[in-house]
Amino acid sequence: MTTTTLARGLRLDGVTVLKLSVLALVGVLIAAPLLRIVLDTLAPDAIIAWSEVTTGRLSRNLLWLPLINTLILGVVVACGCVLIGGFLAWLVVMTDVPWRRTIGLMATLPFMIPSFATALAWGSLFRNSRVGGQSGFLEGLGLAIPDWLSWGMVPTLIVLIAHYYSLAFTVIAAALATVNSDLVEAAEIAGAKRSRILFGIVLPVALPAVVAGASLTFAGAVSNFAAPALLGLPVRMQTMATRLFGLIEVGQTARGYVIAILLIVISALFLWAGNAVVSGRRSYATITGKGGRAKRFQLGAARGPLFVVAALICLLTTVVPVVILIASSLAPSSSALLSNWTLHYWIGASDPSIAQGQPGIFSNPFILSGTSMTLALGATVAITTTVAGLLVAFVLARYGRGPLAGAINQLSFLPLLVPGIAFGAAYIALFGAPIGPFPALYGTFPLLVLAGTAYLMPFAVQTGRAVIQQVSGDLDESARMTGASFPRRLAAITVPLASRGLAAGALIVFVKIMRDLSLVVLLFTPTTPLLSVLAYRYASEGFGQFANAITVVILVISIVATLLANRLQTKSQPWLKS
Amino acid sequence: MIRLENLGKSFGKFDAVREVSLEVPKGAFLVLVGPSGCGKSTMLRMLAGLETPTSGRIVFGKDTVSDGEKGWTIDPARRNVGLVFQSYALWPHMTVAGNVDWPLKVAGLGKPERRQRTDEVLRLLAIDGLAGRYPNEISGGQQQRVAIARMIAPRPGILLFDEPLSNLDAKLRVEMRTELLRVHRATGATSVYVTHDQVEAMTMASHVAVLNGGRVEQFDPPAGLVADPHTAFVATFVGTPPANLVPVSALPPMLAQDLPADASAMYRPEDLSVSTGAGATSLAFDFAEASPVAGRVMITGTREDRRLTAVVDGAPAFAVGDTAHFVLPPKPAAIFAANGERLS
Repeated sequence: MTTTTLARGLRLDGVTVLKLSVLALVGVLIAAPLLRIVLDTLAPDAIIAWSEVTTGRLSRNLLWLPLINTLILGVVVACGCVLIGGFLAWLVVMTDVPWRRTIGLMATLPFMIPSFATALAWGSLFRNSRVGGQSGFLEGLGLAIPDWLSWGMVPTLIVLIAHYYSLAFTVIAAALATVNSDLVEAAEIAGAKRSRILFGIVLPVALPAVVAGASLTFAGAVSNFAAPALLGLPVRMQTMATRLFGLIEVGQTARGYVIAILLIVISALFLWAGNAVVSGRRSYATITGKGGRAKRFQLGAARGPLFVVAALICLLTTVVPVVILIASSLAPSSSALLSNWTLHYWIGASDPSIAQGQPGIFSNPFILSGTSMTLALGATVAITTTVAGLLVAFVLARYGRGPLAGAINQLSFLPLLVPGIAFGAAYIALFGAPIGPFPALYGTFPLLVLAGTAYLMPFAVQTGRAVIQQVSGDLDESARMTGASFPRRLAAITVPLASRGLAAGALIVFVKIMRDLSLVVLLFTPTTPLLSVLAYRYASEGFGQFANAITVVILVISIVATLLANRLQTKSQPWLKS
Repeated sequence: MIRLENLGKSFGKFDAVREVSLEVPKGAFLVLVGPSGCGKSTMLRMLAGLETPTSGRIVFGKDTVSDGEKGWTIDPARRNVGLVFQSYALWPHMTVAGNVDWPLKVAGLGKPERRQRTDEVLRLLAIDGLAGRYPNEISGGQQQRVAIARMIAPRPGILLFDEPLSNLDAKLRVEMRTELLRVHRATGATSVYVTHDQVEAMTMASHVAVLNGGRVEQFDPPAGLVADPHTAFVATFVGTPPANLVPVSALPPMLAQDLPADASAMYRPEDLSVSTGAGATSLAFDFAEASPVAGRVMITGTREDRRLTAVVDGAPAFAVGDTAHFVLPPKPAAIFAANGERLS
């Protein structure tokens, strides 16, 4: 009796200790920076920042105009993404449009291309001479590009929609794939016309996905830094993300933190509202049973034209930007993209007559060290995040009850609600100064690793959960029934089953870090050069070719890693099955 | 009345349904039964108007509703049919009452009329208490009832069922069989019911069409199928338990002497007896299982890839591994040629 009680007591203690340490981990990584940024703005000498930002003389420029711009971006981008993503999802999943698989694959790609790449490509094409520097290809052809198409709100909207629509596509396509064609046929038998079936059956069933797609793309657009910074800042169009960046750059940290907190609130509010609409009684968990077959909607005469529209959208958002980036990294003048190609911007030595003596990116030691730093950061974060995510997922799967586990769960998914640039600001707030015996981490590699690990924690926990679900339970138990020991089970069952999923997840984390700009743009220092920030710096200083060349390097690394990840984890895209 | 004339459907080179001709009167309960892939669901979808036949005609009453030669078919909504899908196809964003109401709304009925009809069919299926629930909030059996209620609400003349009971557990399935027959009688409609379960066919049908490889092997009332199977396939597919088919080459010489060498002999389970010792007309099998059935015992033996089933009043106690000797009657109940055709 005593031994069991003792054993149980001990085991319980062990679990509690494990839970507490995991909670401490996510607490330090995620909760502490966010708490710290709030506390910093409440300090006696900083609290005035709140009134300065919200009601003061400068509040119009500090908060309200950027807020209006941010909301316009969010709303228009969400609408545009849902329209385009929804249209493509409908075509791919429910109709007999030709080349459905290819369109479906292409439509998921834009999200793989960093938004600063698309923004740079836009600039290479549409820049006009308003802000000086090189003009774009179209003006080089003799077309007059109006300011509104070169700079500011319109190009930012277009670039963000071109980037985020694939997110809406993925969500809506997955939902439409669950709309059993029986549902449509049942309505046909009832005598409903096509339009009535669309509005009475298909759209309502897909509504939760549409709402989810809208709130995700809204949150993405309001927190995006690259596009408004590259296309809006030159004409003084500020969003909350660019304002936050500017304030921290000039040292007005308290005001910057206030903006960061407000940005987090806005983004989180919309994600939460979207979630609230979708969940609840009418969550439409689809009723699945046996049967149900895919019968595709016959497009008839519209088949050709609709295909052309879809193909154009896909090409313009994937192939065209990449081609422009490559071309403009080779052309001395972006107004003549296709002539006088040179490898100077890639490998040339410093030449005072070209680009103020900037050497080509592969001859520039600073960029080379940036490349190795970026790769090292990607690899390190991929490993730390995967390990941390697996640990959290394990604790949640095995001991998922009680308030401690609840707190771990909530905290580990919190970064989903926090825009990257605000998260970066929070990390500066916490680690910018020494904490007790620990030195200030600002400007060090470990700070980047910590921030990256925390920021990608939700993703890694999801990967870990999937892997654990796949491995634990029946499979492990049936191996136990054979009498296999724990190490043997680990080697023969768990590792082989889990390794592919974990490796694929780690590779995707690597890619996410590689192409991230918003999280690291505030954490960047000359001692920790990162490719994406270097590209941004070059672009904002007018060295477009170098920026584009670096972006091509990022793209190539990302694409290779993504392909590898896809190979490892043959991606399930149920909507592509016929 | 439903009449199929030389009905056929091919998908590219694959013939799913071939030259099917049959006719059932108004009020009949026609069951299309066969193994998976036999073309029964395709036939049902052609009856519903969801597929156009590639040959032959479908006639409801006096009206041709599908014509494969001319390649046209009347719209599903205009052929006075209702269909229960295997997946139920309940619209997940509408309540139970909403699911039943929507087709009536599409048909243009007035509100009071709709409400009255909805209440009526929900009561008929004993789900009036669930009117305000969503499909994901009710059980599988209840979803099944909603699907049936939705189908009969517009009073179609022909009810179509696509394996409607396949998602239910065994006990519920038996209950729903009775329920379906009740609904069938209450509506007075003609029903066509697709299943791979011959028990459902035998218990519910007024007419059964046994399908295999896209063709109708036999079209008869249930009793006719068991009493007088036309092909070897039908003989071994229907009946509980189904009849035994033994190749003549495997029979005891005494029984085989007057029979064609490459044919198969059919023996009904109730015509066999079982003993522990060998006899001149017995076949030795390895005892496989025995189960009590309604006061009698059903014994199954296996040897190589053959099975033999006997239903007897009493049997010696066998253990697995024992040899059971199945005593055959002097004459088989039927003889089938190697191609499955009936010889006598």
